Amino acid sequence: MAVRTIEVREKLMARNNELAAEVRSRLAVSGVPMFNLVSSPGSGKTTLLERTLDLLGEELGIAVVTGDVQTQNDADRLARCTQRLVQAVVTGGACHLDASQVLKALEAIDLADTRLLFVENVGNLVCPASWDLGEIAKIVVLSVTEGEDKPLKYPKMFQQSRYAVLNKMDLLPHVPFDLDRAVACAREVNPDLQFFFTSAHTGLGMESWFEFLRRQARVAVPA
Amino acid sequence: MHEMSIALEVGRLVELEMERHPGRLLSVGVLIGDDAGLEPESLAFCLEAVLAHPPFDGARPVLNRVQGDTLRLEYLEVDDGRPDD
Repeated sequence: MAVRTIEVREKLMARNNELAAEVRSRLAVSGVPMFNLVSSPGSGKTTLLERTLDLLGEELGIAVVTGDVQTQNDADRLARCTQRLVQAVVTGGACHLDASQVLKALEAIDLADTRLLFVENVGNLVCPASWDLGEIAKIVVLSVTEGEDKPLKYPKMFQQSRYAVLNKMDLLPHVPFDLDRAVACAREVNPDLQFFFTSAHTGLGMESWFEFLRRQARVAVPA
Repeated sequence: MHEMSIALEVGRLVELEMERHPGRLLSVGVLIGDDAGLEPESLAFCLEAVLAHPPFDGARPVLNRVQGDTLRLEYLEVDDGRPDD
């Protein structure tokens, strides 16, 4: 018997990363920044996008790709807030979106008529952190009804994110959530994280979020 | 939680390698970092499930843990039926 060892040394995320680079390249050509919204289930990603589409959907030409394990409920909710395409990806059990799904979703989106693109990832603070979708940044949403130590429990997600939205701020007086500690925990794992403090439900704090998005759409120009 | 996705990607890459290095696959070595976002035992379980079927013929997954976020298909062990060199 001749047993031979064949060295491979192939990165297991290489294929996904190639496709993510293709997504990034296509979006750069069209001057469309894409944000990857990530969070645990129930943090308010869809409500945040509903309010965003309500106010800025037309002004900024926002398109959305939603990812859910089952149902296209989120896409249906968002479609009621915009005339533009909301592309649903049902992962059929997978706990994250990957770059091939986003690349396929792009085929249905008129990038020439889009200035900003959101991906609403599957609600999960673990797996989506490992998958590059071609976004310019991940935005992690954390709500005050969760534990303020979430950033310490799920450090990779907060390390991989450039922005954090602390949502459901209207509930802060009613829940034992230590806001300062939450920010400190997040900065402990990612000192450069930039915060927004919002209640997508009441509109509290949304102005700075909207202004941020306007800046992003303004900055992006076709390559 | 996405260990099965990774195991399937290992299967895809192994199949590509076996086209270039035909023989009976004995083991598959994967390097997995502590910060790779994967549970090694779960990945081993998923790899066993993937490798149990043709064309892999029950090859054995070997996970080697390292520091950092490395995640790599490191090597295959193949019996190519030829005499030892």
